[in-house]
Amino acid sequence: MPTMQDFAGYTPTWCPGCGNWSIGRALMMSLANQGLSPADLNVMFDIGCSGNMNDFLNASSMHTLHGRSIANGIGCKIANHEMPLIVVGGDGALYGEGGNHFLHACRGNHDMTILVHDNGVYGLTKGQTSPAAQQGYKSKTTPEGIIERPVYALLLALTQGATFIAQGFTGNLPQLSQLITAAMNHKGFAVVNILQPCVTFNKTNTYGYYFQKAYQVQDHDPSNFQAALEKCGEPMSERFPLGILYQTERPTYTDNIAALKDGPLVKAAAYTGATSLIPWFE
Amino acid sequence: MAVPASQFLWKIGAPAGLGVMTTGLSLSKLAARSGYHIYDYTEYPSLIKGGNNSYEVNISLDPIGMIKYGVDCLVCFDEITYKLHAERLSPNSTIVYDPNTFQPETDAQKIAIPMQELLNQLEAEKVMVNMIGLGASYALLGGEWSILELLTNQQFKRKGDEVIALNLKCARAGYDYINQHFAQVVQPILTPQPAPERRTVLAGNDAFALGAVAADCRFFAAYPMSPSSSVLEFLAGWAKQTGMVVRHAEDEIGVVNEVLGASFAGVRAATGSSGGGFALMVEALSYAGVAELPIVVFLAQRPGPATGMPTWTEQGDLLFAVNAGHGEFPKIVLAPGDPEEMTQLAMEAFDLADIYQTPVLVLSDKVLSESHYTVAVSKLETILQRPIKRGKIITKPEAQPYHRYAITEDGISPRLVPGQSESWYQANSYEHKPDSHTTEDNKERADQVDKRARKIQTYLANDYLGPQVYGDLSKADIIFYSWGGTKGAVLEAMKKITFGPEQAEQNADDPHSFAQDNPEIFKQRPQVAHLHFTHVHPMDPAALAPFFNHDKLYILVENNSTGQFGQLIKLATGFETPHKVLKYDGRPIFMEEIVAAVEKVLQNSN
Repeated sequence: MPTMQDFAGYTPTWCPGCGNWSIGRALMMSLANQGLSPADLNVMFDIGCSGNMNDFLNASSMHTLHGRSIANGIGCKIANHEMPLIVVGGDGALYGEGGNHFLHACRGNHDMTILVHDNGVYGLTKGQTSPAAQQGYKSKTTPEGIIERPVYALLLALTQGATFIAQGFTGNLPQLSQLITAAMNHKGFAVVNILQPCVTFNKTNTYGYYFQKAYQVQDHDPSNFQAALEKCGEPMSERFPLGILYQTERPTYTDNIAALKDGPLVKAAAYTGATSLIPWFE
Repeated sequence: MAVPASQFLWKIGAPAGLGVMTTGLSLSKLAARSGYHIYDYTEYPSLIKGGNNSYEVNISLDPIGMIKYGVDCLVCFDEITYKLHAERLSPNSTIVYDPNTFQPETDAQKIAIPMQELLNQLEAEKVMVNMIGLGASYALLGGEWSILELLTNQQFKRKGDEVIALNLKCARAGYDYINQHFAQVVQPILTPQPAPERRTVLAGNDAFALGAVAADCRFFAAYPMSPSSSVLEFLAGWAKQTGMVVRHAEDEIGVVNEVLGASFAGVRAATGSSGGGFALMVEALSYAGVAELPIVVFLAQRPGPATGMPTWTEQGDLLFAVNAGHGEFPKIVLAPGDPEEMTQLAMEAFDLADIYQTPVLVLSDKVLSESHYTVAVSKLETILQRPIKRGKIITKPEAQPYHRYAITEDGISPRLVPGQSESWYQANSYEHKPDSHTTEDNKERADQVDKRARKIQTYLANDYLGPQVYGDLSKADIIFYSWGGTKGAVLEAMKKITFGPEQAEQNADDPHSFAQDNPEIFKQRPQVAHLHFTHVHPMDPAALAPFFNHDKLYILVENNSTGQFGQLIKLATGFETPHKVLKYDGRPIFMEEIVAAVEKVLQNSN
């Protein structure tokens, strides 16, 4: 039986108190609880403090280019759809640099779990504003405060077709681990937006801020799109619902590909009929 | 070598939307099925309707790889077509037109066909005029009806009997009109040859698509961009049959990264685009380089910069392709010269990507991508059945711990397919240790750089191919050097320079002899040879040196303004030439332009 220890790689270099410690631990706990081994799953680590988990978490993985982890994940999943696939990245990578991949991946319902370390800043490049930062957020690149509104990622995911949307908080590790497990058990594009205070650079979205503004959803029906729409819209008024906000069933991208019905592409027999295509050109 | 056969050039033109492209391709196929070789060439603006589309087919008993200037038969559906191409007509040419549309003032033989009246009688839509034009052209060239009938049946099979019948009726009207009114001008250009060999009519994009299927490429993701899009369309159309997963995704950055993901998971994967889309893929090439992931990228060039001229041609992205990607990493660039080579090199590209675990680019250009050549079916079958080589791919490591980036003598380390053993690794975009974890250690960094660089030496020793030599280098007075799609123009020019005087003597009465207007100076019988390069990067300086070590005249032939391949040759060998045929107006280099350059060089050296 695999244990959390099997997934533990190098000692993390995250700042003391950083929310990434909780996410790393919650993820290892979830993987061990699911009985998985490091070679059983593919993890696409994006670039940033979040993606630096590549050396701290043992798994078959790609440490991708900035913003491209979802795209790498789509190709990887299509090539071997039997292996679970997780994307680990920050709000800058997944909602900013790779925002286009994110919204189109929602449409495709690619079967993967997206763990977004949402801290509102670019931590690894020392605290510049991110697309998830609140309007007016001041940083070295936006000394007068950012003019744009934040990306409302939960709403974006919901309206573009993600079939599982949850929000977790690094201040609640056991729940976060359960949400990751639920997302991985979901068949389809599963987004877990994780509120993760950056204790070094973000002086706005602190633990205190979220303890005040985040709450556990209760009596919420995740299968109800209208109700989910309301919950996913709450960050617009600085309220942060925690838990599974939306879940529905829809065939995944690979479900729709006839060539994958009999097993993964990587294990399929080679097609040997190329010469039968010649009459197209006669 | 025998004197080459004559060439007959047929051309059709009309506003876009009248089916010129379909008609032209049909004529190419009719010629191939009748036992002839063809080379065809299209010009069209970046529009859906309007403008002027044209399609020309050069027909010969010999293999050909370029059009010629003189048009022997011009089919005009409007006056603009006539005006655009009138200067290419001679008194030996024929012109087909509708006398109710316009009256051409020309010395060429006039073939007036009341096409609109025929359409009215047949109660056919305007677009069907192309079938009348095809039937009439085919009759004028002495074609046999049954071949056209069979082709039409096959082409419209999926659209049903009614569509087939209507198309045949219109083609027949044109065919009969010629035989009834112009029987005396029918020429034996497409008279069926006895027992013709089976031939395909194949363009560069068709060839790449076929090669990808034969190479067991299982994932192709792309975003459409002229002139590369038909690869995506063919592969998507065949996917049900081949089992390839073909994806048209959100943008070029997305598709190339999907290809990287699929490659990591162990399947052969590729993408394709033109310059602008390729530019967006460049960061991912660098990732493929450091993570040592095999990918194949098809780059069909068109004139840039930026959006440039989408439906025209250029070889302007060679240096960009060679240098694409930040940082230093090995990359292989292949540039086939015709569809046969394209099929071969597309397949080789997948092998090389797997063997060297690095990106391989296959370069085309609009003309190579879209112009058709005849390729014997038997030859194509042999190429497509060649076994594939996957290099050091493993499903289980021989020893533990598994080191994905182990330091090896040839620079290549065993690459694990994920999920088939207890082992795992990271395809790391950061510099890494042999075990794939991130490193910033100075020695580990230098070791990995050296290891990756050794793959270049291994490639040069095992798989690099120098230029193909046409003609006799030792006897040649003039040596052309070129790369990729300019091959056909150079070879056609060589025929004219070498055999022009003989052909003019032997075929004195043949109005279609390509030697009719041969320059006087070629009676001196200059000897020419050609160095055609396909493996354009990296190149082996030691292997190249002997080719440029002669006391001879060299002419560089390239479809760009800066002589990019000439620069690569200079870098590798120190050699450069003052004689260049460079063209960058969006049109291909025509053989006449090479002939003119030779004439000039000879005059200056006399």
